[in-house]
Amino acid sequence: MSGAVPMLLRRLGFYFLAGWVALTLNFLIPRMMPGDPAAVMLARFEGDLSPEALQALRETFGISDGPMWQQYLDYLSHVLRGDLGISIAYFPAPVTQVLGTGLLWTVFLAGGAVLIAFALGTTLGALAAWWRGGWLDAIAPPTLAFLGAFPYFWLAMVAAWLFGFQLGLFPLRHAYGLDIEPALSLAFVSSVAYHAFLPALTMVIASTGGWMLGMRNVMIGVLGDDFITYAMARGLPRRRVLFHYAARNALLPNVTGFGMALGFVLSGALLTEIVFSYPGQGYLLIQSVRAQDFPLMQGIFLTITAAVLGANWLVDIVTVLLDPRTR
Amino acid sequence: MWAGLALLWSCSPETPREPGVVVVVQEQQPAWVRNFNPLNPTGGARWPTRSGIYEPMAIYNSATGKWVSWLASSFEYADDVTVRAQLRQDVKWSDGTPFTAADVAFTFELVLRRAELDLGGMGRFVEGVEALGTHEVVVHLDHPYSPGLADIMHQPIVPAHVWKDIDDPLKFANEDPVGTGPFTEVRVFRPQLFELGRNPHYWQDVAIEAMRFPAVGSNDQVTLSLLEGEVDWAGAFVPAIDRIYADRDPEHNRYWFPLVGEMIFLYANTTRPPFDDVRVRKAISSAIDRSLVVKIAMYDYTQPANAVGMSDVYSDWIDLQVAGDSDWITFDTARAAALLDEAGLKMGPNGLRQTPDGEPLQIELSAITGWSDWVRASQVIARNLGEVGLDVRMRSYDFGAWFDALGRGDFQLTLGWSASGPTPFPLYQGLMSQRAVRPMGEPATSNWHRYGSAEMEALLVQFEATTDRTTQGLLASEMQRLFVAEAPAIPLFPSPSWGEFRTEFIEGFPSAADPYARLSPNHFPDPLLVMTRLRPAQ
Repeated sequence: MSGAVPMLLRRLGFYFLAGWVALTLNFLIPRMMPGDPAAVMLARFEGDLSPEALQALRETFGISDGPMWQQYLDYLSHVLRGDLGISIAYFPAPVTQVLGTGLLWTVFLAGGAVLIAFALGTTLGALAAWWRGGWLDAIAPPTLAFLGAFPYFWLAMVAAWLFGFQLGLFPLRHAYGLDIEPALSLAFVSSVAYHAFLPALTMVIASTGGWMLGMRNVMIGVLGDDFITYAMARGLPRRRVLFHYAARNALLPNVTGFGMALGFVLSGALLTEIVFSYPGQGYLLIQSVRAQDFPLMQGIFLTITAAVLGANWLVDIVTVLLDPRTR
Repeated sequence: MWAGLALLWSCSPETPREPGVVVVVQEQQPAWVRNFNPLNPTGGARWPTRSGIYEPMAIYNSATGKWVSWLASSFEYADDVTVRAQLRQDVKWSDGTPFTAADVAFTFELVLRRAELDLGGMGRFVEGVEALGTHEVVVHLDHPYSPGLADIMHQPIVPAHVWKDIDDPLKFANEDPVGTGPFTEVRVFRPQLFELGRNPHYWQDVAIEAMRFPAVGSNDQVTLSLLEGEVDWAGAFVPAIDRIYADRDPEHNRYWFPLVGEMIFLYANTTRPPFDDVRVRKAISSAIDRSLVVKIAMYDYTQPANAVGMSDVYSDWIDLQVAGDSDWITFDTARAAALLDEAGLKMGPNGLRQTPDGEPLQIELSAITGWSDWVRASQVIARNLGEVGLDVRMRSYDFGAWFDALGRGDFQLTLGWSASGPTPFPLYQGLMSQRAVRPMGEPATSNWHRYGSAEMEALLVQFEATTDRTTQGLLASEMQRLFVAEAPAIPLFPSPSWGEFRTEFIEGFPSAADPYARLSPNHFPDPLLVMTRLRPAQ
């Protein structure tokens, strides 16, 4: 393990650099959008404010006409202090407060779904490769690949309509029952699980296929390697060969893919959340774009960037643990 | 796994509905942020802060065309520049403090001092508001301005004893509101749900215990929650509403979409040729098949516009002679082609019309991404105009970009909304006022098509100076005549006012059979008229 720590630190340095680039893009892109947030807000409200009042509002929102570099430095220093500014769409609530209503739900739903899909997909992939040509290998990959070809939100709409509306088996909206006080109680936890089931299911269905195919293909290659034949010849238990020798080696590409997938799943989760009125960040993002709410947009992109970079760093750690050659 | 699911199911029982609680969806939000500031100009305050927690002095009932006295028991013009209002004696704030003229004077002083809070733009015509004794106020105008009455009377009044200590009323979230309205007590506030209980000191009898607001994030979800019987009152657009909603439970599932919303116009930038020519604007109008637009874009929820550009909310003002006489909005391609020929836009060899100089004429029709009804309407219009030889292409923009370009006058053709109010004054002011015209490139809040008419300006000045309804009616007829003659913008269809309700648990909603107020919760301050009339179903 001696080489592992410097290597992980090096990677960490790289992530800081990537984070800074993301922050900068985060600053630039909203400012390249045409339009004036104060004017858009008034259009929404059909108000009749005077031009002086509009200017006063712009100043309150923190939309300054100062030079770009000045705005950029202000932005960086504020972000470092954890101050994401005041939301315009939810004025005068601070962005951190607005994000607080949805962030944990998105992390819970998308994170949970991606972990389940990853675990399920890789296990199925390993088993399908082990018994290749068997019934599992014949049915699961094409079925899952077929389901995976649908966009998340479409599956979500079908699931909501069929299981939620027509059959009435699952709730159609919200993260927990409206009359349940959020607390660490059985009622609350079970209500959360019950409400998360359909949205999570659609995300798992849509993304399991990719993991399974990837795992199966690598696994078949690994199973043909000499060391597997040797392990089998030595008479090691088949289960041990399957999981400790073959699967561990075949897992590496999937683990690397995991960090990348998180970004995609997050973006897919945003749409799923809208379908199920799940109180996550999906609708917030749309709302912030519509209202030209730069601070809120930046806040959401920042959390997504942080989540993806953080997940990739964790993936690095796992890769190091799995594969001594990367140390 | 099935055992686990069964357990989950059994653990999530449906709680029975509390009687007398109205479930409302007005704002579409995924989660609630706590803000009950009625002076918040950004729309960041929760519905019904401005008309429910807080109240105005009087309400113009846009369904009946009558003023309803509210916090003021009566009000009148003492002269052209003075409005006197007697306040009710029996009103208390929800904390028990009596409501007095000092509160009204304080509110106006605050709003006039901080222009950002002045949503009605009253600073342009109100000089000051004075309290006479405890229950009378006098509003002094700096010049006669009769259309300003609605802005004055509709101003939500805040309690002086609470708001005088607020450092910045703009940034004040007012989490525990003290108001005069029927529903002031925050019973529950969670990201997914909040409830407002009845004001213990309310000055009228109210039959409803509380209003409940689940966070619902999209139109589809509003429709589903109506179908499930979870929502009693909503103001959402629902496609094919008879089939999807009303026919499923004809006894309880009801809706009412009266055509009292704002008129939707096709705006042509009149500073740019060929739209500076009234013949071209009238030709475009004649080329549009409005019944097809209404059918394809609006599911037949509305009707083609009348010739004077007024929705049903102005039925008392429409000059039937002008509206009936004019045929400039009738679908007639031959007439459109003749007008275009007359304006010098001759047909070129490729079957497309050219500018008088023989240059190809390309016209862009801007639309807003995601506003699917307007996008469909724009597509129909582009095709209609193509049939008379105009090369019109629709292009979609993000709302912010579209609105920015609209304000600066950087467009050729686009759909747009229009102003509305108790009188046609704001409508024609927005359409034709010379004073509202901004130079190209400078953002305008109205008159985006930049059409100024000196004659209209004179009529507007006369209108704002008089408070006499008969004189105003005559002036409004003149305005309609002028609008039809000059065709500054092309009326398409009036917007319906969206409103759905269910009578299983709650009764007393307005409907076509009992049109005592506007049903839609989306229009301020009309919902007060509705929420004070609702009662639990028998």
